[in-house]
Amino acid sequence: MTAIELSGVTKRFGELTAVNDLDLTVEEGDVFGFLGPNGAGKSTTINVLLDFVRPTSGTVRVLGHDAQADSVAVREQTGVLPEGFDVYDRLTGKQHVTFAIESKGAYEDPDAILERVGLAGDGDRKAGGYSKGMRQRLALGMALVGDPDLLILDEPSSGLDPAGAKEMREIVREEAEDGTTVFFSSHVLGQVEAVCDRVGILRDGRLVAEDSIDGLREAVGSDETLIVTVDAATEDDLEAVRAIDGVASAETDGGTVRVSCDSGVKTDVIGALEEAGVTVQDFTTQEASLEDLFIAYTEGEVAE
Amino acid sequence: MSYRAVARKDFQDAVRSRWIWVLSALFIVAFAGPALLRFTLGIGLGDTNEATGITVLFIQIMKEGTAILVPIIAIVVGYASITRERESGTLKLLLSLPHSRGDVVLGKVLGRSAVVALPIAIGFLVAGLVLIPAASLEAVSRFVAFALLTVVLGVVFVGLAVGISAASETDRQAMVGSVGLFLLTSLFWGTASSRIASALNEYAGVSVQQQYLVELGLKVVNPVAAYKTLIDSLYMTQFDARVGLFQFFLIPNQDAIAALGNELPVVFTDPVIAALLVLWFVVPVYVGMTVFERVDL
Repeated sequence: MTAIELSGVTKRFGELTAVNDLDLTVEEGDVFGFLGPNGAGKSTTINVLLDFVRPTSGTVRVLGHDAQADSVAVREQTGVLPEGFDVYDRLTGKQHVTFAIESKGAYEDPDAILERVGLAGDGDRKAGGYSKGMRQRLALGMALVGDPDLLILDEPSSGLDPAGAKEMREIVREEAEDGTTVFFSSHVLGQVEAVCDRVGILRDGRLVAEDSIDGLREAVGSDETLIVTVDAATEDDLEAVRAIDGVASAETDGGTVRVSCDSGVKTDVIGALEEAGVTVQDFTTQEASLEDLFIAYTEGEVAE
Repeated sequence: MSYRAVARKDFQDAVRSRWIWVLSALFIVAFAGPALLRFTLGIGLGDTNEATGITVLFIQIMKEGTAILVPIIAIVVGYASITRERESGTLKLLLSLPHSRGDVVLGKVLGRSAVVALPIAIGFLVAGLVLIPAASLEAVSRFVAFALLTVVLGVVFVGLAVGISAASETDRQAMVGSVGLFLLTSLFWGTASSRIASALNEYAGVSVQQQYLVELGLKVVNPVAAYKTLIDSLYMTQFDARVGLFQFFLIPNQDAIAALGNELPVVFTDPVIAALLVLWFVVPVYVGMTVFERVDL
């Protein structure tokens, strides 16, 4: 079954088009990373899924329900960590979780939830005294209540320290292993790369890429970056490198040369540099990170 | 319908804020304080008749105070109920849970109504303990009816304030709306009613009798006036209670009495006026819900 299905969704705020004719499908059981720079329309898309905003046109279905007409049914089965939320300052962490349990009609132990998100021992404190990271954990705990079929996490690691972000990833993985579909947005690419099996990249309200991480790497056409330390290199020296079949791009700051290429042509690249009169001192290879892909897609270097 | 969970959380929040205790103390002082004068002045301690009389006097005096105090407090408690959550972002947390927007508005109305109703009830209870000893059963039931009507007035204004809050985008907008409403109902409505009615008489050839009927009609639409005149009905005839709306410093308006004739028209009877008061709750809550359901958050 399809967990999330957007077809032809457009959302305009006055003159501004936040989301433009977006088609997006997330299958049940997927861990889907929704990437894009700030202002690309990620949060607007998530707000449409949750019926916080209504699309100007297009249809949205979540877990088989119409996201507008049946929003409560959607949210009964969905755990949400919204973006730009705040907690109730005067209520304790435990009261927050208890409220989520009551709201979802679930039967769970609020302390167990608090422990799971790393807030054991803080449950009786007022949430107004929580740090940003603790608030984020609390909201995640509220989202986990009732064993949701779908988790929607909007920038989940914002405000978390690296250890917290790692715990967040572990929780996402555990939920995914249980069969929960996870949809989360981020601009922190390492987070997405570590847990997602599918990725969509949004830019200016349009989906510019949607694939598995491996597929995306393939789409960019190079799976490695060769980093060569040299004495001195100029743009002219790179012409020979760029001419090699299998090289996607090459750039230099004078001291190092970065080349995106197929792994089979590495020696050819080194050879071409030396032939151009450049002294190669050292070289390392790096598997293409999502960041490279991300930059490639969002800067428009890769044609659709 | 999950409005109960929302209401419970909202009430919990208010209890934690100590608002409710401050209000209770205020109402105890405001209601029981004047009642205590009974002892210091030594009136009404002798027999049942006197005790009953003092209860009626208490209600007559107190209703002028409650008619101002209760709407103000209900507005303060309710005006930001939705907009503050919207501005701070707690609304996103709330609506991430399976509550419809209608449930959020209803839950707020319920929770904030309890925040207003409970202190009123406590204030009246303490005042009752002071007043009721030695009073007749009739006086006791009048006093209880006065308390209930005051709770209704509080709930009506909570509904109005929450409805305005639901239809507003910012705290500021909601505050302007609620304060405007308070000034309208407490200060300008009566005068405006008289002006409109006499203008009709002067320029549109409406007869004096019709002029007074129009004026009364306009006056009783005001929820504050409706509350006062319903309370007057507790210890006088409905006819006298309605005529009371025209009195000027306790002097009955003879023209109004003459205009209303011998029998009070059905539209000016207690049940109709009570229904109008209830509409002041139902309509704003409904409109607020409808607007809130349609907006982008």
